[in-house]
Amino acid sequence: MAAHRHFYLFISPYFILFAVLGLYPLIFSFVLSFARWDGLTELRWVGFSNFVNLFGDEVLLDAIWNTVVLGLMYVPPMLAGAFFLAILLNASWLRCRAWVRAAVFLPVITPMVVVAVVFGLLYDFEHGILNYGLQRLGLPAIPWLLSEHWSKPSLALVLIWRWTGYNMVLMLAGLQSISKEFYEAAVLDGAGPFQRMRHVTLPLMRPVFVFCTIMSLIGTVYLFDEIFVLTAGGPGTSSMNIGLYLFNLSFSDFRFGYASTLAYVTAFIVFLASLFVLRFQSREGD
Amino acid sequence: MDTFEHPAHWDLLKRGALYVLLVALALLFMFPFYWLFISAFKSKEAIFTLPPQFIPDPWRLSNFLEVFRETTIVRAFANTTVIAAGHCTLTLFLCSLGGYAFAAYPHAPGRDKLFAFVLATMMIPGVVTLIPVFVVLCKLHVVNTYTAMIVPGAANAFGIFWMRQAVQQNVYHDLLDAARIDGCGEFGIYWRIVLPLLRPALAALGILVLINNWNNLMWAFIVLRTEDMYTLPLTIYLLQGELRTPYGQIMAASLIATAPLIVAFLVFQRHFIAGISSGAVKG
Repeated sequence: MAAHRHFYLFISPYFILFAVLGLYPLIFSFVLSFARWDGLTELRWVGFSNFVNLFGDEVLLDAIWNTVVLGLMYVPPMLAGAFFLAILLNASWLRCRAWVRAAVFLPVITPMVVVAVVFGLLYDFEHGILNYGLQRLGLPAIPWLLSEHWSKPSLALVLIWRWTGYNMVLMLAGLQSISKEFYEAAVLDGAGPFQRMRHVTLPLMRPVFVFCTIMSLIGTVYLFDEIFVLTAGGPGTSSMNIGLYLFNLSFSDFRFGYASTLAYVTAFIVFLASLFVLRFQSREGD
Repeated sequence: MDTFEHPAHWDLLKRGALYVLLVALALLFMFPFYWLFISAFKSKEAIFTLPPQFIPDPWRLSNFLEVFRETTIVRAFANTTVIAAGHCTLTLFLCSLGGYAFAAYPHAPGRDKLFAFVLATMMIPGVVTLIPVFVVLCKLHVVNTYTAMIVPGAANAFGIFWMRQAVQQNVYHDLLDAARIDGCGEFGIYWRIVLPLLRPALAALGILVLINNWNNLMWAFIVLRTEDMYTLPLTIYLLQGELRTPYGQIMAASLIATAPLIVAFLVFQRHFIAGISSGAVKG
């Protein structure tokens, strides 16, 4: 033990902090999921009733629906666009690659509040540049963030703008890690560009696609900042998602018990879904 | 391969088309930044005039003067800087020290189990612990302090994993043994030999952590209560919610909040990109 005391000494700051702000909260919120508590009055045990209540919660149903729809709206175009951009940027003779990459990546590092402010201007119904452009083309103005019908597509557009760069960088790194020898061998075998894409690039990129898909899945379920600052879930509950609903339950309704239940159940489902994506990919890979 | 040959005419055309396409896409992605920039220099009326002004006429600095005079933006900038720097330093210290220990003491009993434990905690999403962490901070009486913004999240499992890998790749056991023979203490080895060798990895993790913390709105919204503690995102968010929204000031404040990040990103771009890509390609 004494010989290894430096090991324990060096990992202890991390573990002490983790115990207080990671492990204890984890257990605490598990316990809370069987209770009713607003943080002030006395905690009351309610058994499994929080879990049962999940099934009759209409706002939750809306939130799940919105999460799924929003995810389907933005993830496929985002991943396809990111892959397309990564392919373009991977051309060996390309100059100024870093500048284009930076331009597409900058939205990722921009504070979400700032993104919301700017898109608020662009989306403005009467004075926004998007509606101005539409009307100049003879098309009707769109009530972007103001209508239940358009709130999700408007958010999807922002999400695509914001997150394409992140996925592009991952995919570009994936493409660059593919050894040139595979392509040289394919060319020797007489493979054209499409066959090289189909039989070399796509199979070798599969792990990166899986990673991006899982990250997008997790990101969509826990999406918060974007919705909080752009629509706050509205109009009505048309853009309320699981992440925002969890936040509202916790910090505006102070239903700590119920929020913990939902957080745990969501985390469990997301975990299962991620496993499913991973399994799916390993089966396909055979 | 065709790229090694002298480009024929149609090849040149193809390359030209690709450049045009890439520039167009880059401009499309940059457009909101352009709009942010010019709006910060427009009067409140000019921000909303139709047809839109693509170049401010005239360029005005009044938004910046007003935001300095009428809001707490300077204080918010200082708060955000202190918080982001503090959080970043603490995270890098904890993760590099822990990661070094995991990499450099292979014979310590329980090491592998502890490391597996760290990896398992990487799977836990932040929302699950949101409420209890807040409750803990309340009990410790640190709500509305820098501590509440700096400390949570600093024990970063991903950081430990990353730093351990960086030590394995960049630090040789022979070097550590040589230092021991020369009488260097264990902490001295970490501080004087390992840390300098980890510089690129520290830069990558650091810039990632720094930007996330700088932009963090949700946690600031939860734990910061008084105006003198507000961070930049929170200040801008609350300005936006005011009656008769002061758009000019908001645009100026937004530009002030974003510019340092863009500069930091451009300076550290190589590290940053390497950092976020390492997760996908190796993991």
